[in-house]
Amino acid sequence: MAARYRLGVDIGGTFTDVMVADEAGAVVATLKTPSVPGAPEEAIFTALRELRRADIATEDVALFVHGTTLGVNTLIERNGATTGLLVTRGLRDVLEIRRLRLENTTDFYGDKPLPLVPRDLVEEIDERLLSDGSVYRPLDPDQVRAAVRRLIAEGVTALAVCFMHAYKNPAHERQVRDLIRAEYPTLFVCASADLWPQQREYERCLVAVMNAYIGRRMAGYFRNLEAGAVTRGLRAQVLSTKSNGGVMSAARAADEPVQTLLSGPASGVIGAAHVARLAGAPGIVTVDMGGTSADVSVVVDGRAAYSTENQVGDFPVIMPAVDVSSIGAGGGSIAWLDAAGILKVGPRSAGADPGPACYGRGGTHPTVTDAYVHLGIIAPDRFLGGQMPLDPALAAAALADLGKGINLGSREIAQAILDVATSNMYAQFTPLMARKGVDPRDFTLLAYGGAGPTHAFLLAKEVGIGKVLIPPLPGTLCALGCIVADLRNDFVHTLYRSDHQTSDAALEEAFATLEGQGRQWLAEESAHEIPLESSFVLYSADMRYEGQAFEIEVAVPGEARGDRAAIARRFHEAYHAIFGVSDPRAPVTFVNLRASVVGVTAKVTRLQPPARRSAVPAAQTRSVFIDGQLRDATVVQRASLAPDGWVVGPAVLEQYDTTTFVPPGYRVRADAFGNLVGEAV
Amino acid sequence: MAMDPVFLEIFKNRIQAISEEMASVVLRTGFTVFVKETADFGTFLLSPTGETFGSPVVTGVNLSLAIPGEGVVDAVPEWHEGDIVITNDPYATSGLSTHLADVWLVKPIFADGRIIAFGCCFVHSSDVGGKVPGSISPSSYDIFQEGVRIAPVKLYERGTLNEQILRVFLDNCRIPEQNWGDLRALMASLHTGERRLHELVARYGVAQVERGIEGLLAYAESQVRTMIREIPDGEYVFWDYLEGGAGGYPIRLRCRLVVAGDNILMDFEGTDPQVRAAFNLPSCNKQGHYMLVPTLVRYFRTLDPACPWNSGMVRPVSNHAPLGSLLNPEPPAACGVRAATFIRLMDVVIGALAQAQPDRLPAVGAGQACIVLLAMDDVRTGRHQVGVVQPICGGSGARPMRDGIDGMDFSVGYLRNVPAETLETDMPILIERYGLRPDSAGAGRYRGGCGIELTVRVFAPDTVMTARGMERMRFRPWGRLGGSPGENGTAVKNLGTADAAPTGRIDELLLQPGDAVTFLSQGGGGYGDPYERDADAVASDVRRGLVSPELAQAQYGVVIAEGRVDAAATRALRSGRAPRRSPFVFGPERDAFETVWSDAMQLALNRCLATHPLALRNYLKQRAMEEVDARAASRRPTPPEEVAALVRALYERMDGRAPAGLDGRAAARS
Repeated sequence: MAARYRLGVDIGGTFTDVMVADEAGAVVATLKTPSVPGAPEEAIFTALRELRRADIATEDVALFVHGTTLGVNTLIERNGATTGLLVTRGLRDVLEIRRLRLENTTDFYGDKPLPLVPRDLVEEIDERLLSDGSVYRPLDPDQVRAAVRRLIAEGVTALAVCFMHAYKNPAHERQVRDLIRAEYPTLFVCASADLWPQQREYERCLVAVMNAYIGRRMAGYFRNLEAGAVTRGLRAQVLSTKSNGGVMSAARAADEPVQTLLSGPASGVIGAAHVARLAGAPGIVTVDMGGTSADVSVVVDGRAAYSTENQVGDFPVIMPAVDVSSIGAGGGSIAWLDAAGILKVGPRSAGADPGPACYGRGGTHPTVTDAYVHLGIIAPDRFLGGQMPLDPALAAAALADLGKGINLGSREIAQAILDVATSNMYAQFTPLMARKGVDPRDFTLLAYGGAGPTHAFLLAKEVGIGKVLIPPLPGTLCALGCIVADLRNDFVHTLYRSDHQTSDAALEEAFATLEGQGRQWLAEESAHEIPLESSFVLYSADMRYEGQAFEIEVAVPGEARGDRAAIARRFHEAYHAIFGVSDPRAPVTFVNLRASVVGVTAKVTRLQPPARRSAVPAAQTRSVFIDGQLRDATVVQRASLAPDGWVVGPAVLEQYDTTTFVPPGYRVRADAFGNLVGEAV
Repeated sequence: MAMDPVFLEIFKNRIQAISEEMASVVLRTGFTVFVKETADFGTFLLSPTGETFGSPVVTGVNLSLAIPGEGVVDAVPEWHEGDIVITNDPYATSGLSTHLADVWLVKPIFADGRIIAFGCCFVHSSDVGGKVPGSISPSSYDIFQEGVRIAPVKLYERGTLNEQILRVFLDNCRIPEQNWGDLRALMASLHTGERRLHELVARYGVAQVERGIEGLLAYAESQVRTMIREIPDGEYVFWDYLEGGAGGYPIRLRCRLVVAGDNILMDFEGTDPQVRAAFNLPSCNKQGHYMLVPTLVRYFRTLDPACPWNSGMVRPVSNHAPLGSLLNPEPPAACGVRAATFIRLMDVVIGALAQAQPDRLPAVGAGQACIVLLAMDDVRTGRHQVGVVQPICGGSGARPMRDGIDGMDFSVGYLRNVPAETLETDMPILIERYGLRPDSAGAGRYRGGCGIELTVRVFAPDTVMTARGMERMRFRPWGRLGGSPGENGTAVKNLGTADAAPTGRIDELLLQPGDAVTFLSQGGGGYGDPYERDADAVASDVRRGLVSPELAQAQYGVVIAEGRVDAAATRALRSGRAPRRSPFVFGPERDAFETVWSDAMQLALNRCLATHPLALRNYLKQRAMEEVDARAASRRPTPPEEVAALVRALYERMDGRAPAGLDGRAAARS
C-alpha cells in the first residue's frame, strides 16, 4: 500500500489540531487533542494513535508537516539556554544598545527589553574585517579558546558568533564555529552569516543569539519527535513550518530554529490564502481572533504579504516572514471603568485561566465572551460542541456589577462592551491598513480562530467591509496551512553598490549564486521523496536612490536579473507608485539582493471531511439583544446549512469550535467548498 | 461628566484611529530621512479654536501635544473649504512652528457649512535653505540665516494650488523635489483625516461630533485635574543650565512651579535672556505650549497610561515665559537648535515637580542629543561626502523603583542609531568601539543609566568633524534623594596615546588619517542613598563590567571579593555613615559655580538686564559675570544688591564711543 496521506499538525497553547488529506486533495479527517506543554510531541503521538483508530495508518503518511510554538514560547517565557556571545572587539554592547529607540518615550517608568545574553556572557574577540571584507586584524584562535573556556565555566551551553562585516566575508565566523564544534562538541553553536548574511550588526547578531537561545531545546524536541514518530511507523520525513509560510526538514529546523519563530501565525495565513484562492477572493484581510489578541494580515491574489520588519516578543526579526500584525482585542479582553467612569475594554485579558466569568473558573471580571453569552450570541450549552458548558448566570452577574457603575443594565453594558471592543479593533486596524497602503473596503474579511467568526461581521460593519468569508473549519486553519505549505527558503546578499559602481555581470553573478544556494537547498530538503509539483525562484532587490537612507523592495523578473537598467526602471516605477514622484535619471543603489526558492507541493481542494449525516435539526430562532433591542435571530447548525440558500442577519451559525454571528445588515450562504460567504445587504 | 461614557470611549477610539492613520500615511509616503529614520513629523486634529483633540501616540515624535493652533486660525482672515495653509515661521504663527525646518500644513474641515475641525501636520524638512545645508546651525544668530520664512499663506485656495507660493518656497530650498514629496505626503494625510471626520459626521451628525470633540478635551482635562489635586499645593522652584553661552557661561532656565488646587502655573521669570545663537525656543508664551509641557504630559501619562492624549491635558496648565527670554524670544532670534533647550527644560520641570512628589519623579539623564557629523573627500572615489555618525545620548536618570536606562534617555527616546556596518560602508571610517561607558552612572539606591562610549577612527585626509548639541560637559546630570550625579560628558582626541587631548565642545575638528575621537557621554543621576543599594545588584553590575570594584567600594560601600559580595566587610563599611537624603545632588562643578552665582545673584542680574536694550543683554551679561567672577577671585564678593549698579556702569561705559585704551588707528584696523 503506497503512502498517500498528508498530515498537518498545529501545536497551539491549549490544543493540538490535526488535519489529514488524501492523495486526491480531500480533507478526510480532523481532530483536536489537548496540548502537552512540557512535551509537545506527546500530543502528536496521541493524535497518531487516534488516527490509527480511524483507519489512518501512520505508515501511510506521505507528508508530515507540523508547526510548533515551542521556539517562540521559549523566547517569550525566557527559559532558553544559558547563551554566550562572541563579538568583534569594541561591540560588546551590541545587544544592550540595540537601535537606541525606546518603545514608549512618554513613560518615565518604562524599560528597554532585557538582552537574551547578559553583558558578562559576551566576549570580545580580537579580530576585525573592513567593509570590503578584507582583514584588518587577524583572528587569534587561542584567544577564542580562552573566551569559550571562560564562558563554559560560567555555565554557557549555547554560543552565538557575530563578527563585523561577516555578511561580506564569513571566514572568521566560520573559523570560530568550526573550532568550537571540533573542540567543544556538546555546545550548540551558530554563526550570524550562516543564518542570515545581511548587513546590520544588531539585527544579524540577534538572529544568531535567538537561534542559540532556543536551539538546544528545539533540537531536543525534534530529536524526540522524529524518534518517536519512527517507532510509531512513520516513514515520511518530519517537516516543520517556517516564519515565511514555507516548510523545511526537521533536521534543518533543529539547526536553524530561528526560522520557526513566526511560523504559527504564518501557517494560519497560508491556510487562509489557500481558502481565498479556492473561493476566488482576489484580496483578503485575514483576522485570527483568539482569547487575548487578533492577528491581522493582507493577502492579494492568493499570495501572502511578506515583511522584513517583524517583531517576536521584544525583538526585531529581519528574516522575511509572513507579514502578520497583532492587535490587542480578543474574547478574553476584560471590560472595566476608569476613574472618570469611562468604559474600557482591554488591554488586559482574562486569558484561558481564569478566563471569562462564564467559564466558572473564578474569573469575576466581565469579558467580551461574557458579553457574547449574555446577549444570546453564544449558546452556553454548545460551547466546544457542548464539552465545556458555560455559566450564563456568572456572566450576567459580572456584567450587572460593572453596569451599576454607570447606570447601565447588564444587557446594555454587554452591548456597550462589544461596541467599545469593536471600536478598539477599528482604532488599531485602520492605521495598520494605511501603513500597508491598503483600503480594506476593497477587500474580503476572512476570519478564523475561536472568536474570529463571532466578531468578524461587527468589525466588517465598523470598517465598511462588504464581504466576509468564514472557512469551513475556522479552528484548524493553521493545520490546513501546514498541509498546503510549499517548501520555501529565502536568501540574501548585501551588495550595497550604486549602479555606476557595479556591472550587469556582477548582478547576474550574485543572483546566480543565490539561485545556486536555493536550488541546492531545495535538493537537500526534498531528498526524502517529498512530492513536488514544480519549483521556481523569485528574485528581488532592496533599492534606493543614492544617498537616501531607506530602501524599498523591488521584484526582479528572472530574465532581468543581470540587467541594471531594467531593474532600475522597475525601481522608479515602484517608487512612483508609493511616493507619487520619481527621478529616472538619478543613480540608484542596490542594497540587498534577495532570492526565494519555492518547491510547490500538491494542494487540497476539499476543505472538510464529509459530514456525518445525522438528523438535521430544523432552523430555530433565539432572542439576541442587538442595537438596543431583543431580536429573533435565526439559529443554524453550520453543518446543515443548505448550499446557496441565504440566511439573513440577525443569525447565529453554530459549529463545534466557534459561533458565527451575522448582525442585521448582512446575509450569508455556503459556497461549494463549505465556506460561509457573507455580504452586506 | 455629562457625556455618555460609552459613546465617549468609542469616539475617542475613532479619533485616535484617525490621528494614527494620518500619521501612517505620512510614514508610508513621506520622503525625507527625518520621516523614515527619526519619525520627526506629526499629524493632528484641532478644534475650531485651535486645541488639539487628536494626536498619534504610536507614530511620530510623540511630543507635539498641545499645539497652539489659534495663531494660524486667527492669521487667516477667511477660511474656505479646500484651503490648505502652509507655514513654518514661529513668530507669525505664535509658536505653532518652533523652527523653520518644521513645515506645517493646516486644512479646515467643514460640515454643514461650518468649520468643525482643522487637520494639521508638519514634517521636519531636511533643508529649507539658509546659510548651511540642513538649515540648522548652532551658531546662527538670526532667523534669516536659518532658511526661507513663510508666514501662514494659502498653498491651496478652494482646492486650487497657488503655484507662485510653491515656487517661492521650493526655489529657496536645496532639496525642492524631496520637500515637494513630503508636502504631498502631508496633504494625503490631511485628506485622509478630512474623509474620516466626514464619515463620523455622516454616522453621528455634526452636533454629536462637536459634542464629542469637546467631550474628549474635557475628559483628558478632568483626568489630569484629578492627578494635579494629588500634588500638594505649593511653590516649587528649580533651575538648570544649558552650556556654551556667551563667554562660556552657562545659560540658566528657571521655573517656579505653582500648584494650587487642580491648576499648575509654570513661571519662567529668572530665565536668561534670549541668546545670540540658535538655542531660543519661540513659545510665544502660548499657554500650555507643546515645548513647555513635555515633562508634565509625560508625567501624567506615566501615572495614567490610558489618559486621552489631547490638549485637554494642558487646560489646567498656565505658563509665564518673559518676553525676550530664552523661552519667549523676540524676532528675529534664531531657533534652529531649540531642541537642546526643551530637553533641558524637561529636566527643570522634573526638578520642580520632584519637590512636590519626591517619590514619583526620576533623577535626570544625559539630557542631550548630540549629532556627530563627518565631512571628507572619499580617497577611493574622490567624492566629497557628509554623513551623520551617530546620535549620542547617554543614560537616563534612575527611577523611584528601578535603575535608569543604559545608553538612552526619555527626552530623546525616539532617536535611532545607524548600524556601524552601514557607517563603515558609507564612509572611510572605523567604529572601534560603540558601547556603554562603565563607571559613568550616578550611584544610588537605584543607579542611573550608563552613558555611551563611541570611538571613531578616520582614514581620509582633512576629515572635518562637527558635533552639535553637546551638553552637560560641565554640569552633571543630577541625582536625587542622596543619589550621586552621573559623570559629565567629554570627548577626547586620540585617547590612550601620548598626544591624547580633550576636544571640549566640538564646533569643527580637523582630523587626519589614523586620528580617532572618543565620545564619553553622560551617565544618568542616581536615586536614593547608594549605601542602600542591594549589595547583590552592585555585584551584578561589577560582574557585568558596568561598575568597577573600586567604585563599588568607594560609592556603594560594597566590598567585592572574587566576584562575590564580602558581606561582613560590606556591613562594616556601610555602618556608621549617616544616611544621605539631600533632595538634589548636583556635583562639585555646579556647586562651585553657584557659590558665586546664587539664585539671588542670577535673579538680580536678570532683573536689571531686562531694563536694558535686548540687543545688549548677552554682552552685558557676559561682561557682568566676568566682572563679578574677577572680584570673587580676588576675594571681593559682590552682593546681589550691587549687581544693578555694576551693570549700569558697564552700560554707561559703552555708549557708542570707543572704549578707553582703544585709539583711532586700532579701531580702524578692526
